[in-house]
Amino acid sequence: MRKEFGKTFIKRFLSSLLTLYLLVSFLFIIIRLSPGDPTNKYVSSQLSPDLAKKISASFKLNEPVSDQYVAFLVNVIQGDWGTSYNYHQPVLRVVWQYFSFTFVFALLSFIIQLIFSFYLTIFIVNKRNRLLDKIVSDMSLIVYSIPAFVLGVTLIYIFSVNIDLFPISGLRSLDFEGMSFTSKIFDQIHHIILPLITLSAAGIALFYRYLKDNIDVVLNQTYILHLKASGFRNKIIMTKHILPNAVRPLISVAGIELGILLGGALITEVIFGLPGMGRLTIDSILARDYPLVIGCVFTSGAVMIATNFIADLIKIKIDKRLTVELMN
Amino acid sequence: MRIKLIYWIGFLWIFLIIFRIEAIINYALLLPAFFGLMFNNINTAMSLVNFQFIDSIFSFIIIILIPFIIVISYKKKNFLNKQIRFSEAVIILLLFVFILTPLIAASNPGFSKDLSVTKLLSPFSKVKIIHLKSTEKYKDSDSKYFLNLRDKIIKPSFDESIIFADSINAGDKFFYYQKNVRKELPPNSIKTVDGREMITDKIFLLGTDEFGRDIFSRLIYGTRISLLVGLASVIVAFLIGVLLGFIAGYTGGIIDVILNRFTELFLSFPSIYLIILILALFGNSLFTVIFVLGISGWMSLFKIVKSEVVSLKHKDFIASAKLLGMKKRLLLFKEILPCIIVPVTVNLIFLFSAVVLAEAALSYLGLGTGTLYPSWGSMINSGQDYITKAWWMIVFPGISLIATLFAVNSYGRKLRFINSSDND
Repeated sequence: MRKEFGKTFIKRFLSSLLTLYLLVSFLFIIIRLSPGDPTNKYVSSQLSPDLAKKISASFKLNEPVSDQYVAFLVNVIQGDWGTSYNYHQPVLRVVWQYFSFTFVFALLSFIIQLIFSFYLTIFIVNKRNRLLDKIVSDMSLIVYSIPAFVLGVTLIYIFSVNIDLFPISGLRSLDFEGMSFTSKIFDQIHHIILPLITLSAAGIALFYRYLKDNIDVVLNQTYILHLKASGFRNKIIMTKHILPNAVRPLISVAGIELGILLGGALITEVIFGLPGMGRLTIDSILARDYPLVIGCVFTSGAVMIATNFIADLIKIKIDKRLTVELMN
Repeated sequence: MRIKLIYWIGFLWIFLIIFRIEAIINYALLLPAFFGLMFNNINTAMSLVNFQFIDSIFSFIIIILIPFIIVISYKKKNFLNKQIRFSEAVIILLLFVFILTPLIAASNPGFSKDLSVTKLLSPFSKVKIIHLKSTEKYKDSDSKYFLNLRDKIIKPSFDESIIFADSINAGDKFFYYQKNVRKELPPNSIKTVDGREMITDKIFLLGTDEFGRDIFSRLIYGTRISLLVGLASVIVAFLIGVLLGFIAGYTGGIIDVILNRFTELFLSFPSIYLIILILALFGNSLFTVIFVLGISGWMSLFKIVKSEVVSLKHKDFIASAKLLGMKKRLLLFKEILPCIIVPVTVNLIFLFSAVVLAEAALSYLGLGTGTLYPSWGSMINSGQDYITKAWWMIVFPGISLIATLFAVNSYGRKLRFINSSDND
């Protein structure tokens, strides 16, 4: 068993690496295929053609694409992702600055989503109230259907514009530097509540749906009936039999969701003006900051693959039979 | 909360007839006028045909045909008697709006005039319209009747013969007020009908935006864009997903491996980045948006089709069809597609809601179908700047977006539920 597990692990790892390599190549090709010249932003090629050529050469854009590709790959393997045109800093450093925020933000949101949806489901299942079940079920679908930008703007309208409870945008107040440590933490929490609600609402609804559906399926299984007939207490059936079986299919969904969150919550970041990966990626795309584009999209791709990988490992840990299935 | 399908359609139809009776009468006059013109001077007639014209005529024909279709199919088809829920009712309403857009929207979505009066009006606010005497636009006697009629129906994006005013003061001299600025009109410049000056009221049902454009008609035209992008992208995704899935599942081997890698690649990063990357680098228009949304959504379809084809491949009926010499294309459409149509449809419905959401998000970010077409997302985006003054700029497109997504999602969920209970 252990040997098979190792085999699966290595196979998945290599396949992930291959996907990442393809991702980088794909991004490189699609960017080089596109019309437009990033140097146009800094100097007009009509007004001063010599300077434009010089800048183009300094970006190494005048070499043949195949040479650029090989040089790029060699640099990437050495850990050099190039220098951002806009930030004048190594790409990895820029990405790291923004990713650290996204990491905390996404993880917080993910934990909130899991905890809220879990306890909501348990609450609804234990109540066994048809009407409440139906109302929450419909509500969850409505909440799931609310686009992040509608929810975010509405929250701003209610809580920031009308009753002035939370700040409209940004991550810290203007006088952040002069604050004491505790008020600094309070200030950050104060700023991040609305974005967290915006980001988490749809996820809570999604997880609720999955978990509730799974529990409904498990509840109809014959072994639950058998357990009930054997006189087990409801609580024990719930915690020992229903939940483990219902949560298991949720793991891969959670893995995908975490990957998407870590890739950057674009809309939420745009609405609330937060310094996250989503906005960095979009800004770099719109500014044609090619090295940064590749760095950003690669990072989100790598994170997504990693979370899926971890989710699979957890699944195998719970259910050993999956080893063979996931190998293929 | 359920209603019979036929009652719902009938209700929408009667509602439309009552509120747009004037426009429908004009349409009814326009069609014979057009045929008359075509009879006299076919070149002029053909040169006047454009998308807007065909669109308007088409919507008129549809609204006339609806009762006939119902009467004809009522006896044969049972589906008209089906009880429909809220979600299906919303979908029917959306289809109505999608097809009958020019009839439902009373004004051009881009119409803006007299900003000082019409800017940021709240819902149900009333302004006065002063109709000025206009010089005859059309000299040619052949097509004059037709063209005048057409201008009544196909609303232009600018009209110099009307003035919006807050209030008027008709005495010896004619004054009108635009935001407390008094202006005077020269005598005899107002159009008269039966000796009375033509001054009408206009009610902006859902208010106006920052350029004084009617939010109701923008919403209606935005529905069309959202649904058009959704449907077209879903078709693109369907074609790519089914074809690639069939090829991968049917041939297997190296092609299967390559296509699998390709799918993994597309699934390995958030598709919104791919969409924005392509739109930003290659320019955004209606067609690129449709295409890009299509190619970012085919992956799950590919997986479904591939796994189904692999399991179906060795079934007897496929083998016999193959041995009988059926071509691969026919095999896909006649034998395999009918077997997998239900999971594929469920997938397409969820894809549709995802695409509508993505289109709105793109428009919100300013990367959508461009400023030429109104879109729910861009309406919300522009409303954000006026959030303290004009809540209606966000609320109405937001509600339509949520209602659409909710309806599609719950319909898809229902279908999936039926599908899974069939399998058990």
